[in-house]
Amino acid sequence: MKKPGEELVIALAGQPNCGKSTIFNAVAGFKVNTGNFSGTTVSFTETKVLLEGRTIRLIDLPGTYSISTHDIAEKVARDYLLSGTVDVIINVLDSSILARSLELTLQLIEMDVPMVIALNMHDEAVKKGVEIDVDKLVSLTGVEAYPIVAVQGSGVQELFEAALRVAKGNVRHIKPVYDKDVEECIERIAKRYPDALRQTWKIDERFVILRLLEMDEEFEKMAGEADRAFLEYVAENRRFLAEMHGWPEAGVFASHRHAIVLDLFERVAVVRSRSKPSLGERIDRFIINPVGGLATITGLIFAMFYASFSIGDFISGLLEKPLEALGSKVLGLAGGTAGMLLAGFYDGFTAGVGIVLPYLVPLLILLSLLEDTGLLPRIAFMVDGLLHRFGLHGKSVVPIILGYGCNVPAIMAARNLEYERDRMITMLIVPFISCSARTVVIFALAGKYLGAGYTTLIYLGNIAVALAVSFVLSRFHVDVSPGIIMDVPPLRRPYLHIIFKKVWARMLEFLMFAWPVIALSSIVLAVLSQVGIDGIINWVLAPVTSGILDLPKELGITLFFGIFRKELTLIMLNSALNTLDVASVLSPEQILVLVVFTVLYIPCIATVSTLWKEGGWKVALYSMALNTTVAIAVSGVIAYLL
Amino acid sequence: MKLLHLKEGTIAVISKITGGNGMAARMAGLGLYEGKKVRIIQAAPFRGPLLVEDILTGTRTMIGRGIASHVEIRDEEAR
Ligand SMILES: Nc1nc2c(ncn2[C@@H]2O[C@H](COP(=O)(O)OP(=O)(O)O)[C@@H](O)[C@H]2O)c(=O)[nH]1
Ligand SMILES: [Mg+2]
Repeated sequence: MKKPGEELVIALAGQPNCGKSTIFNAVAGFKVNTGNFSGTTVSFTETKVLLEGRTIRLIDLPGTYSISTHDIAEKVARDYLLSGTVDVIINVLDSSILARSLELTLQLIEMDVPMVIALNMHDEAVKKGVEIDVDKLVSLTGVEAYPIVAVQGSGVQELFEAALRVAKGNVRHIKPVYDKDVEECIERIAKRYPDALRQTWKIDERFVILRLLEMDEEFEKMAGEADRAFLEYVAENRRFLAEMHGWPEAGVFASHRHAIVLDLFERVAVVRSRSKPSLGERIDRFIINPVGGLATITGLIFAMFYASFSIGDFISGLLEKPLEALGSKVLGLAGGTAGMLLAGFYDGFTAGVGIVLPYLVPLLILLSLLEDTGLLPRIAFMVDGLLHRFGLHGKSVVPIILGYGCNVPAIMAARNLEYERDRMITMLIVPFISCSARTVVIFALAGKYLGAGYTTLIYLGNIAVALAVSFVLSRFHVDVSPGIIMDVPPLRRPYLHIIFKKVWARMLEFLMFAWPVIALSSIVLAVLSQVGIDGIINWVLAPVTSGILDLPKELGITLFFGIFRKELTLIMLNSALNTLDVASVLSPEQILVLVVFTVLYIPCIATVSTLWKEGGWKVALYSMALNTTVAIAVSGVIAYLL
Repeated sequence: MKLLHLKEGTIAVISKITGGNGMAARMAGLGLYEGKKVRIIQAAPFRGPLLVEDILTGTRTMIGRGIASHVEIRDEEAR
């Protein structure tokens, strides 16, 4: 137990999509950190909150359906809960699907760490006709429970006050009692519980036995290392149980738990049948339908397109005049070397606000909408079959769509793919997806100089190239993937304040990290060209730029800098070509080749380093080689044909 | 009969999940295990997955056809 004044650790645990992050964001302080669990690439977010004069470390854990699991992220969440660092667990439940949510709750109760229950999505439960007797739930489990609606912030205050209270008191969970023969089985095993295990493992003994009965890989490994004979004894007992009930050995214990959960559910909740389907359900029926679904997806692609295209163009146009006026003032301030640096900085600075943001923001809004409404899994459902033909998977849809925003989180999202083969192909495909930085390049060059038709063509061609690469890659990984199993949460209305928060956070990320890089690189370029080093880079790259791609060799340096941030290619174009009107120097064919090459080659350093982290250096190098080869091949062919 | 062959809209009870231990466990996490009543809401185009509804909770899960061929069902009842 921690003394007053010491930092208290509260962890949000629950099944995926139950609203953990919404609760987290509702109370998060201004400083939110993302970290990795030690020794893994699985990340979590944490923040410090001040509550009743105490500092609390609040942790948003990855979602887990069950404590015994095969999924890496879920295992990490469990290990963290068992590590002894957590003072209180807030178990978040989606109360509209209480029967399923309680599975995890029951396991957490058996873990014997202080906890409170958050019955989230109370509004949806009411709409669905699910009535929960909260007092009864509390008296049957011994755990305090609070109905809340996280999106509106209601009930959240009481929830955290309760968590603080629970941290001080003793745990009085009422652990579920299984069938007589299961309990007898547990008792027999408990008598043989090895001392070696007791000393090395400060985890509730009954909990360990239950996990072993459930054939949890990790627990079996730990127990086996301590005492092989004990593990064999557990297996013997499990086989005995399985034979007695005529169930398969692997599922016999889980079946007993399912029965207990259903029993608990029936005692604490009644479901009154609803009168008529809600608006969300009626929309869902349309989207889930093949015709409606494909129409929706097509509509979304065009919405994304035109939102960025017209809105971005519009805002960008609005900003042009004021920025120019600012420029003429600033540039007059200094001459000589200082003036040159200032000019470099000004280029980078204005490019950030004037070119990138106008296109970035509409895209970010659309992506947040897709995430929050639950459209992503529905798109996965629609295209899974199609993607299989190209060696991909419906689950790859999520990383691919996220990739249109930024490849970095997209590659991290590939973790959701359970099978190494699927994950590998997805990680190698994502760098081909035109992220917002490249979208900016497409719009600002193709959109401006080639027109909407070509812009659309480049986008579609980009998808075609990604699919083709995936098809070829899948031929090298012949082992077939078993297929998709994925939750489809109900359609939800988006909340403006939540969308705004998300977009704002991602925009800040751009302003804090990407923008300085752009501004700095512009200065570096100004210096480089002053000293004449750009000439060397251009000379080295000339065989590709002017040899294969038929572009002026002055573009070598801009393509080189694109590896840092793709926007740089665009931003440096003007100074490299020494004109504001790109069309006066490059032919339309050359612009097309330039855009296609920029979209397809190595995305950026951030993406490569993420690949390194997630898949190792071989994957990172492989991906760089793959992107460069495909980019040179495709744009080379275009240059040759035109 | 297999879940794969269940007609859209028809309700049935899951009787057995063959396939590996991992598959049964993953489905159980989503609330689909032996004894659960389920219904096929929709089959995705291009031989894509099946959208399966858990009658008790109303939760929906998409299940690839390969996996659905490892799920045995009984007691179909038309609705
Ligand atoms: N209607 C309703 N929706 C909610 C509530 N809490 C969260 N949501 C929505 O549920 C979805 C999943 O929430 P999220 O916090 O991302 O879940 P997580 O996966 O547990 O982190 C989001 O679209 C939220 O806006 C709630 O109390 N009521
Ligand atoms: Mg979350």
